[in-house]
Amino acid sequence: MIHRLSLGSRLAVLFAACTALVSLTAGVLFSRASEQHFIELDQQWLSPRLTAIITRLANVQRPEDLAGYLPALRQDLGHPAELALRIQASDGTPWFDSRPDLPATPADAGLATLHADGIDYRSLAAPLRPVDAGSPRVALLLDITHHQHFLQHMQRLIWLTVGLSALATALLGAWAVRRGLRPLRQIGRIAAGVSAHSLTTRLPVAHMPEELARLAEAVNAMLERLENAFERLSGFSADIAHELRTPLSNLLTHTQVTLSRPRPLETYREALHGNLEELQWMAQLVNDLLYLAKSDHGLLLPQRQPLALHEELDALLEFYAPLAEERGVELRRVGRGDMAGDRHMLRRAFSNVLDNALRFTPAQGQIVVTVDSLDGLSRVRIANTGPAIPADRLPRVFDRFYRVDPARREGQQEHAGLGLAITRSIVQAHGGCIQAHCEAGWTTFVFEWPQA
Amino acid sequence: MRLLVVEDQAKTGHYLRQGLSEAGFVTDLAEDGDTGLHLALAGEHDLLILDVMLPGRDGWQILQAVRAAGLETPVLFLTARDAVQDRVHGLELGADDYLVKPFAFAELLARVRTLLRRGSAPTQEPFLGLADLRLDLIRRRVERGGLRIELTAKEFALLELLLRRHGEVLPKSLIASLVWDMNFDSDTNLVEVAIRRLRAKVDDPHAHKLIHTVRGMGYVLEARAS
Repeated sequence: MIHRLSLGSRLAVLFAACTALVSLTAGVLFSRASEQHFIELDQQWLSPRLTAIITRLANVQRPEDLAGYLPALRQDLGHPAELALRIQASDGTPWFDSRPDLPATPADAGLATLHADGIDYRSLAAPLRPVDAGSPRVALLLDITHHQHFLQHMQRLIWLTVGLSALATALLGAWAVRRGLRPLRQIGRIAAGVSAHSLTTRLPVAHMPEELARLAEAVNAMLERLENAFERLSGFSADIAHELRTPLSNLLTHTQVTLSRPRPLETYREALHGNLEELQWMAQLVNDLLYLAKSDHGLLLPQRQPLALHEELDALLEFYAPLAEERGVELRRVGRGDMAGDRHMLRRAFSNVLDNALRFTPAQGQIVVTVDSLDGLSRVRIANTGPAIPADRLPRVFDRFYRVDPARREGQQEHAGLGLAITRSIVQAHGGCIQAHCEAGWTTFVFEWPQA
Repeated sequence: MRLLVVEDQAKTGHYLRQGLSEAGFVTDLAEDGDTGLHLALAGEHDLLILDVMLPGRDGWQILQAVRAAGLETPVLFLTARDAVQDRVHGLELGADDYLVKPFAFAELLARVRTLLRRGSAPTQEPFLGLADLRLDLIRRRVERGGLRIELTAKEFALLELLLRRHGEVLPKSLIASLVWDMNFDSDTNLVEVAIRRLRAKVDDPHAHKLIHTVRGMGYVLEARAS
């Protein structure tokens, strides 16, 4: 049941319960103290009177002896009239009783509280001769109804206070909680309003109390990530469509134009070759997309084996050497390093970056690959001279279909802007990270893996 | 050489059969798993090309039945799915190779030839040659028309590959894989450049060219009548 209550009601109920408990405890303590105080008061009042009577009756041996003392006794008892005197033999036989209608007093000496017909009495008893075991007992009874009335009245007051204060706390608490939780409701309202179209919404952190500010910041950070991922995803689908539309439209146009009238055989052959190039490019695109999709689903599982990174990179540099030489670019590797990884996947990852570097390095430029294993990290840096990538675009170079140079695919047989995205997927599948820097005329891609 | 293609997509099957037939293989085509298995169990084929997803019986079931019947016919799988588990599953069942759609026909042809050649022992002769080209495999020397040609190690490996498989069109991706051990779709410019440099040394000084480009397919080394 309490699980279903709102936080506000739950807190209000708890506040009310606490107040009730506190005021009840205070009330009970006060009530007990008052009762005790009345008892002491009664004792102080009864004690000297009883002593006076006992002193007066010191010579009484038998009930008959009492007769001479009665007028004086009645005088003592007269004011106030609520006082009664009872004298009994040790076996309980009454010698004298000013109010026989009152309840029997206990056999023991001392203070007692009696009750009869809705009226309370306090009795104080003592033996007439303390040293004599068979001595008659003298008891004084006092009507204490007015005390009891006061106590009952006070108890009613206490209950009323408990109830009212609990109610007041519940109401005030509910109001305070409502006020206090207003930012929380605001978070809820804003979160409820977030949809694919309004991911730009953010919670106002500035006016939040400290506890909620942290929550709001976390929610904002989550919204930020969602927005980025969503933007990238919707951009990605649009990009796929765009990338496929160009070659598809080429294929359609080319094929229809070719078939529109009879042509020499050689023209058909040319047309098919042209189409083949487009198709191969599309097949490559689909394969790359599948590779990335596999990586997104965590299916890129590297088969780790110990690798000498410098040897792997040398093999790649050997592969790239003829092209680099033709472009007048110097290509070299320095340093050594080891890691456990999937040879083919890593070669593919490095290859995409080398490919990229070679494309942007001008003639007489350099590409330097640095390998090292230090401080528990295996690191590969691939640096090339050439025009710097603007700082704001650097983190985006690993995005799918992202091209630093927006002029797209001018007949180049490059990967459709997926190469670096694939590289990042492979690096991450190996538990590493990759970053791009631009400094002093060098563009550097840094691969890092913690050594297992 | 007789091949069996089991492929339920009529167009794909038809194109495959045409391509393989024109490459010189006798090719049978089955369009569902049961017919495919029936034909495969006859044991008349040198290689099976199986689609994984088939009506009736899938490619894996055919492979299992074939192996259970004691046939060691090499099997090449074609699949539209590139899940790692699929690949592992296929190889565990005894598949010999695996191609993911979309693939280049030249690639399929090259793999088919590799599988068919696998049984025969590799040539151990110290020399390879075609027309007036001669490779000395032991001394790693190349001569053409009696003239020494200086090649780098990779150029030598590339020429050796072309020569060993002369007359066969080798796709760029296969060349990258066999010569440089680059088993991914790398920038194919790299193979083009390497071939161009090899040509400059092997073919340019001679009127009779040996290395030929087959557009859109790859490269072939053969002595063509000029």
